[in-house]
Amino acid sequence: MPKREDIKTILVIGSGPIVIGQACEFDYSGTQACKVLKDDGYKVVLVNSNPATIMTDPSLADRTYVEPITPEFVKKVIQIERPDALLPTLGGQTGLNTAVELAKSGVLDEFGVEMIGCDLAAIERGEDRKLFNECMAELGIETARSGYAYSVADAEAIVADIGYPVVLRPSFTLGGSGGGIAHDHDELVAIVSQGIELSPAGEVLVEESIEGWKEFEMEVMRDKAGNGIIICSIENLDPMGVHTGDSITVAPAQTLSDIEYQRMRVASLAVLEKIGVETGGSNVQFAVNPENGRMIIIEMNPRVSRSSALASKATGFPIAKAAAKLAVGYTLDEIVNDITKATPACFEPTIDYCVVKVPRFAFEKFQGTDDTLTTRMKAVGEVMAIGRTFEEALSKAMRSLENSRFGLGADGKAQSGISLEDMTDMVARPTPERIYYAAEALRAGMSTDEVARITKIDPFFVVKINDIVQIQIALNGIALADIDHDTMLIAKQYGLSDAQIAYLVGSDELAVREYRKSLGVIPAFKTVDTCAAEFNSSTAYHYKTYDAKASELAPKSRKRAMILGAGPNRIGQGIEFDYCCVHASYALADIGYETIMVNCNPETVSTDYDTSDKLFFEPLTYEDVMDIIDVEDPDGVIVTLGGQTPLKLARPLEAAGVHIMGTSPESIDLAEDRDRFAELLDRLQITYPAAGMANTFEEACQVAERIGFPLLVRPSYVLGGRGMAIVYDSVQLEKYMGQAAKISPDHPVYLDRFLEGAIELDLDALSDGDDVYVGGILEHIEMAGIHSGDSACCIPPFALSDSMQARLRSIARELALKLGVCGLLNIQFAIKDSIIYVIEANPRASRTVPFVSKATGVPLAKLAARIMAGEKLASFSLPSDDRRLDYFCVKEAVMPWGRFPGADVVLGPEMKSTGEVMGIARNFPAAYLKTQIAIDYEIPSTGDVFISVNDRDKRNLVSIARDISRLGFNILATSGTARTLESAGIPCTSVGKIYEGSHDVVDKIANGEIVFMINTPMGSATRDDGYELRAAAVRHGITYVTTLAAAQALVAGMEVASMGGGLDVIALQDLPQWEEEVA
Amino acid sequence: MTSLSESILSKTSKGQGGQAALVLEDGTSFIGRSCGASGTRFGEICFNTSLEGYLEVLTDPSYAGQIITMTYPQIGNYGVNLDDVQRSKPALRGLVVRDICESPSNWRSSVSLPQFLKDNDIVCIEGIDTRYLVRHIRDNGAMRAVLSTEDTDTDSLLEKVRASESIVGQNLVESVSCTEAHPYNTLPESHAFAMAENKAATHKVVAYDCGAKDSILQNLIRSGMEVEVVPYNTPAEEVLAKNPDGVFLSNGPGDPDAVEATYSQVEKLLGRVPIFGICLGHQMISKAAGAEIEKLKFGHRGGNHPVMNLLTDRVEITAQNHGFGLKFESLGKLIPELSGGCTDHVDDLRFWSEKKIAPVVDNEKFGRIQLTHVNLNDGTPEGIALLDIPAFCVQYHPEASPGPTDSHYLFTAFSRLMDGREDYLDIDISTDRLSGWKF
Repeated sequence: MPKREDIKTILVIGSGPIVIGQACEFDYSGTQACKVLKDDGYKVVLVNSNPATIMTDPSLADRTYVEPITPEFVKKVIQIERPDALLPTLGGQTGLNTAVELAKSGVLDEFGVEMIGCDLAAIERGEDRKLFNECMAELGIETARSGYAYSVADAEAIVADIGYPVVLRPSFTLGGSGGGIAHDHDELVAIVSQGIELSPAGEVLVEESIEGWKEFEMEVMRDKAGNGIIICSIENLDPMGVHTGDSITVAPAQTLSDIEYQRMRVASLAVLEKIGVETGGSNVQFAVNPENGRMIIIEMNPRVSRSSALASKATGFPIAKAAAKLAVGYTLDEIVNDITKATPACFEPTIDYCVVKVPRFAFEKFQGTDDTLTTRMKAVGEVMAIGRTFEEALSKAMRSLENSRFGLGADGKAQSGISLEDMTDMVARPTPERIYYAAEALRAGMSTDEVARITKIDPFFVVKINDIVQIQIALNGIALADIDHDTMLIAKQYGLSDAQIAYLVGSDELAVREYRKSLGVIPAFKTVDTCAAEFNSSTAYHYKTYDAKASELAPKSRKRAMILGAGPNRIGQGIEFDYCCVHASYALADIGYETIMVNCNPETVSTDYDTSDKLFFEPLTYEDVMDIIDVEDPDGVIVTLGGQTPLKLARPLEAAGVHIMGTSPESIDLAEDRDRFAELLDRLQITYPAAGMANTFEEACQVAERIGFPLLVRPSYVLGGRGMAIVYDSVQLEKYMGQAAKISPDHPVYLDRFLEGAIELDLDALSDGDDVYVGGILEHIEMAGIHSGDSACCIPPFALSDSMQARLRSIARELALKLGVCGLLNIQFAIKDSIIYVIEANPRASRTVPFVSKATGVPLAKLAARIMAGEKLASFSLPSDDRRLDYFCVKEAVMPWGRFPGADVVLGPEMKSTGEVMGIARNFPAAYLKTQIAIDYEIPSTGDVFISVNDRDKRNLVSIARDISRLGFNILATSGTARTLESAGIPCTSVGKIYEGSHDVVDKIANGEIVFMINTPMGSATRDDGYELRAAAVRHGITYVTTLAAAQALVAGMEVASMGGGLDVIALQDLPQWEEEVA
Repeated sequence: MTSLSESILSKTSKGQGGQAALVLEDGTSFIGRSCGASGTRFGEICFNTSLEGYLEVLTDPSYAGQIITMTYPQIGNYGVNLDDVQRSKPALRGLVVRDICESPSNWRSSVSLPQFLKDNDIVCIEGIDTRYLVRHIRDNGAMRAVLSTEDTDTDSLLEKVRASESIVGQNLVESVSCTEAHPYNTLPESHAFAMAENKAATHKVVAYDCGAKDSILQNLIRSGMEVEVVPYNTPAEEVLAKNPDGVFLSNGPGDPDAVEATYSQVEKLLGRVPIFGICLGHQMISKAAGAEIEKLKFGHRGGNHPVMNLLTDRVEITAQNHGFGLKFESLGKLIPELSGGCTDHVDDLRFWSEKKIAPVVDNEKFGRIQLTHVNLNDGTPEGIALLDIPAFCVQYHPEASPGPTDSHYLFTAFSRLMDGREDYLDIDISTDRLSGWKF
């Protein structure tokens, strides 16, 4: 059945900001869907609040709304665009939930919008635990056995049936308190009797424990003719108990025999049918008892997911693309396999390599939180690696993580001197580091059986990890010159990096590389083709392996540009850089280059095989990148669009004779080296904050004496403000220096004069060496001291004079030319007492490039790529950079607090946000308010507002509080704050502080009596009242702000909203857009 | 291997196999490590793309005469459960893998794959670039090859392989068929955890053993049939004298032209008793109907081939293992009124799947024959049904083992055919697929 002709316009809902558990994999799937629907002749309307996404590029959809993904705003879009259909399955849980609400509230019916790709009943059967279990029971597929106990006797009866251990969950207790695992009768009696008491319903759920079982996922697709196919099976290395997003996972499934695999396959297909997934992709998860093969279904997701993105990259089968086509009426046999171009998509991909995904965590950002991995996902990103063996793929993945490791151990970075007892604990407890500890334990002689026993990791994997370790041990201490060809080949086949070999043989990476090549041990490049080479494939999606008889690369026929991607998403380096890399690829392809993308992040658009002419799914290390350069011979390499990851390769690549496109490594160094940069600023008579450098506390004190407190302190060469802090006195400084030494022992600590209360600004500019174009000036809402990545910002500036803006542009021009920038430049400014300070200049794409591009209609990353390829700014006929913009665009950061209980929820100089949203409106407050709505904050219009601010903020609070009062809210305040307000004549109620023994406020928060909270931290690391209050606000989802600036913006927004204006929706296509002309 | 590299490898879980060599008749050669039995084996080199199910593959009698390359690089991961074998004595000539697993992990495993290979005298090479080999076979076609652990001199092996016998024209069926009729009535106990209870026997079936996979016979039993297995050359009269409700024609190795002893009997049986054929069995019915069989450049071997059932328009993901195939046009002229008005045969049968038409030809011997199944990858015929007499057959493997069980309904269809039902092929594949299992 061909595509449907009765629908013309399709509304696609994206997934909004990047948050933990819902990251840029949905940009990948959404981008694919938009492209394929447009190609099929449909008018595509898109709603997504995330400006960093590629899918919100104005050219990808016909109408792009960067608006909050809430039923209210999507309804506004529906009212304007009148789509015939809504495709809700590509925007993660956010998209799906919004669609469900629109359907339930009757909006879809009201406007005659048909939900395609799934239906309401199917979503409910998939998500409602009870309905789901009933469906499974009808199919005869087991779910975890359980029963409700209302007495200890009940519990005993249930256990008699299901056996120990059991998971006990008292019903309706806050945060699941009172639950636990019982391994024997005594524990059962203790926990159940307590649980029944704690539970308001006197009820305890007794469920069999499947912790430690093997975990599998099946990625399934189905069309309306009833054809079902498995795209990929995935086996989790970490057993049940660790969220699959936090697990190391392997594709295809490794330890299932055919009969077990086929049983799981049939069950998966039956589940989709039973739940009622008419078309599209779903993910079905199973647990398997390693003792007897008993199979239990855990859950299914009737939509594309993180796993489906991984499965697409792992197999070359584009699940989201196919799902979009199926939703508009095609059947699987009518869709052509994109990779072979000769066979249909109705088949099950077979692969001839192993894929390993390893999650990337950011616990170091959230001091105080427990880093044990549980069933609640905490990873912020992931890497994927492809090898011909599990060993090779795992080793490659372990050096892709951008965590300064060169692989699985043997890199001089392992913690030494751990006692056997401690080691056992570290191996047993699932944490981000567990895999490293397991390797070290094996190295120290722990048996594979023991490691398998205490970790519950399947012995299959443990033995293979041990093999890697044994190869490392055997190489240790051999002289490089004594390594022969066969030995070197074995080391490489087990995935050891040149850097690891160098560490083991006491040499350096470059020497190993040279020597290895002289032995003739060079890698081959194979192809991901969905069919294990059974058919010819026309898609250049490659990976490197040392299983090498021959490479499969097409010869060079025209000039080539290589773009180095950004690696795994982590805090400080997110999807924005992928946007830049993808745009560069598009732009260079437009001007005739053959484009080559290198990246290892499976969630991204850049690693979609049809983004660039060639895709190399490889780690972004010197070795791996150089191996590709050796065979591909690119005419130039772009390192300035993928954030810090490729940037740090600039020097070594240049030293190896590689042509770096755009800004030269020398210029990059000039901007990054603080002394050289300060010298330049001095020469240009540009002001910057007084600064110093120290290796010890004593040195730091000398610097402090010279430039004075407060100080902004940070380790050198870091991204995302890692380890950055503001210290107000020498006590704090001493504490910081004690900790800083651990962060980066090779580098000193920088100390800058902290400009308290200064306005911060970001400026993004393009330079071609002769000419400079300022893409945008962004005024931060939060004052100096909040990391720019965490600060809300507005373009155009909302409170900065034209003359001041002109001065900023002029400084940018001067700096860009003097630095020798060719491409993008980002400058951070601070303005205090009308003095402009340059904080730093980064001659590379910044986090704000996609946002600025969307706000101004000028695609900075694309232009940067063309400049790097030799084009001149003058040839682009860009609009003047001091033009007046009609709309205010605000970018606001999205914080992951809820995932990290125990960590303080305060903004500071260290970046902690995972994503961002954009609000567009005719005025600044409305645009800001839209961002808050987009983050999912309820905008209150009445109720109690709780205010507690530190002494520095008291004076400035008054006007904000007056507005709050005028808007009709009741103000509650702690004693000090209350005194300030009362003396200003603002009515308020004083409440006790927690440390004085009062729990009034926390109780009120818990009871939902407080609608909005302003709490500014005391500026020290001590755990004050604020910590508990903010934690409570996060727990209960209450709108709260921790800076006065944000409070002011929010209150202004509420005021605008209360007057009923400013919250209309607007499509990006209706903002002025620069028309691209390609010569 | 240098002594240093050998000593390093000995620290791992890898075995201590010596050198092994694989040489193709066109001179392509590979040196790797031995990981099975010792010896020298000649055969036709081919590849299988199944991700798992290596044991079922290498014990499938249809691989008699062949050296199989597994495209998935790491083989042996979940070990060996002897209940999964398709024939107690493997018939293949040799195995080629990228990496074999010496320390498998699975609750059902009793022995490692390398040990199984040694126990069953199968020569196996590991440590070679199997993807390169597969691409070579894909581009150059199946060819003779030699696999040796005794002689690793590639020049000498090339000479030997060029002197070896080709499997074209060989009757390999003889080497794998049973020699005496016997009942088949056992089901492996270790499958009970996953397989549905078998139906009570309602039909008596005689199965020609041209190298039948055990899982086919097991599927017949599970579908309610009492099975008697007979040698491939059993005369039709003898079979009819047993008074069966149906006759089953099994899969088997090699060139169907060489199996006249079977298809000449099938010709006599057609019309006298309901018949169902799989793989070689499909070719036997085709041969009996006078059709031509061609050797494919490289066969279909794997578990992911899409096949469309032209009667229901549903696609089945199928397990396949054949190097020869039916030329559909050789069965007879199209009957336009039963073929959507089309009068001319087409090379690529996807013409029919796109039009959703199941064309019918007029066969000189057996009347109307309908094309029921088409391979969507390459447009080759995958199944036919005789409309004037009770018989149907498929080129692929509904028993899977290894592979997807979408086509399980064909066993049900055989049962219905014996019941005399006209609509015997009109079965919902999802319901039927599910009914074969227990969870």
